[in-house]
Amino acid sequence: MTRVLIADDSETILLLMRTRLEMEGYEVLTAADGVEVVEAVRSADPAPDILLLDAMMPRKSGIEALRELRAAGVETPALIVSAHQDEMDAGAPTEAEVSGYVTKPIDFDRLFASIASLTA
Amino acid sequence: MLTGLAVVGVARFLQQRQDFENATARSYQVEITARNRLARGANPEATRATIVNQQSKRQALRDDIDGETRDTALLVGAGLIAGLTGAALLFSGLIASMRRPLEELVAASGRLAGGDLEARVKVGGLSETATLGNAFNEMAAELQRRAGERDQLETMKDEFVLTASHELRSPLTSVQGFAELLMLERDRLTPQQADTVEIILDNTRHLVRLLNDLLDLARSDAGRLTIKPAPTDVAALVEDAVRTMRSQTEAAGQALHQEIEPGLPQVSVDRDRIRQVLVNLLTNAHEYSPEGASIEVRAMHRGSQVEMTVEDDGPGMAEDQLEHIFERFTRGDAGLTQHVGGTGLGLAISKSLVELHGGTIEADSTKGQGSTFRVRLPAIPAPSPNGPPAGNTDAHDAQPREGAR
Repeated sequence: MTRVLIADDSETILLLMRTRLEMEGYEVLTAADGVEVVEAVRSADPAPDILLLDAMMPRKSGIEALRELRAAGVETPALIVSAHQDEMDAGAPTEAEVSGYVTKPIDFDRLFASIASLTA
Repeated sequence: MLTGLAVVGVARFLQQRQDFENATARSYQVEITARNRLARGANPEATRATIVNQQSKRQALRDDIDGETRDTALLVGAGLIAGLTGAALLFSGLIASMRRPLEELVAASGRLAGGDLEARVKVGGLSETATLGNAFNEMAAELQRRAGERDQLETMKDEFVLTASHELRSPLTSVQGFAELLMLERDRLTPQQADTVEIILDNTRHLVRLLNDLLDLARSDAGRLTIKPAPTDVAALVEDAVRTMRSQTEAAGQALHQEIEPGLPQVSVDRDRIRQVLVNLLTNAHEYSPEGASIEVRAMHRGSQVEMTVEDDGPGMAEDQLEHIFERFTRGDAGLTQHVGGTGLGLAISKSLVELHGGTIEADSTKGQGSTFRVRLPAIPAPSPNGPPAGNTDAHDAQPREGAR
């Protein structure tokens, strides 16, 4: 079963994403910020197949967490979730770091299609 | 100096003239007295001699004064020429000392008008031009200060719109997401509950569109609407937009068809932005057309361009409406707008976006017979046989493309 790690500082959004992903048949791990993302990727067994990270989170943003993981050699595909593409203008991750973007509100049909193609 | 001489000369001449007139008057007096004596018959020889004497004396005086007049006139002429030359020299110096600061002022004004708010002039020279220079510099400094304030306000406005957009988007994501979740369980809802959720969804989508349009508009006004073009597959782009609209058109019983010419060249576009344009055109077609209407999306090769069209068989537009359709806050028929959730900004933003890509967008419509919107984008020239262009690395590009190519 495909394991998806989702990270967002809003519990409501986590609940929404978990529900929709589980209904699609994914196994879901959650994190509330970038620090938990790094921990979860290192300790989860089996490791997540894809990361869905909110761009802006307290303590450590999704982009910072991803950068740290990439530096440590983690190559798991990652989608960055942001309120708007504009948030990416500053400190934009490189193509090597990120596999794609998802904007809020989330278009779940597009999201499922992206996850399917990245974990195929 | 010659002028001084001329002045002295003229004064001397005036004195000589006075002396000449006095001497002439005296000579006439003597002659008249002599003639009286002659009339009385006294000493006619001597008296006659006196008269002749006086006449020749006056002649001599006249000759003298004529000479003096000629000399003085020459002196005055020379003095005048010298004076004028001096004045000209004096003024040309004065003009030169004013001309340079004035020329500098003109040049600085030009630069200021051209937007260089750093333009200043060197202050110096005559007190008049120095005052003018100071006034100019003060004005330029004030302009620069106000422009700075305006830029700061513009940045604050931009940040505010961005922050507001972010803060509103999170709760909207939840509202829309959970309403969609409920609709997935539609079978377990009563018809009234299902309608209620539908209304929540409609309004949430409207709010999201408003938010997006306002953000784009703020960016466009600030000249900061930017695109990140990459080689993109047209079929995938069209399918992506159609997929986004499918549930809405199905709910209205509208047929949504796509027809993509096989083997289309790629286009260099910001995928999300052109998708936004297509979704906007499809949303308009959906919202302005009645239930059961038909919407056609086509993509085809047109010379060096790729053309994408969105055609509906809805109410269409009259010519005067069509003319203004790409202007802000212009919407279709007033009678229809109350059912339509648009912001009146979508087509204006779409036009800006397409033009940023070096493309064109146009509308074609006949009242009562539907509308066609046409987007043309420059195609990437066909690749050489051994070097196909790099594919788009965007995640969405890797989505399944049933029926493409």
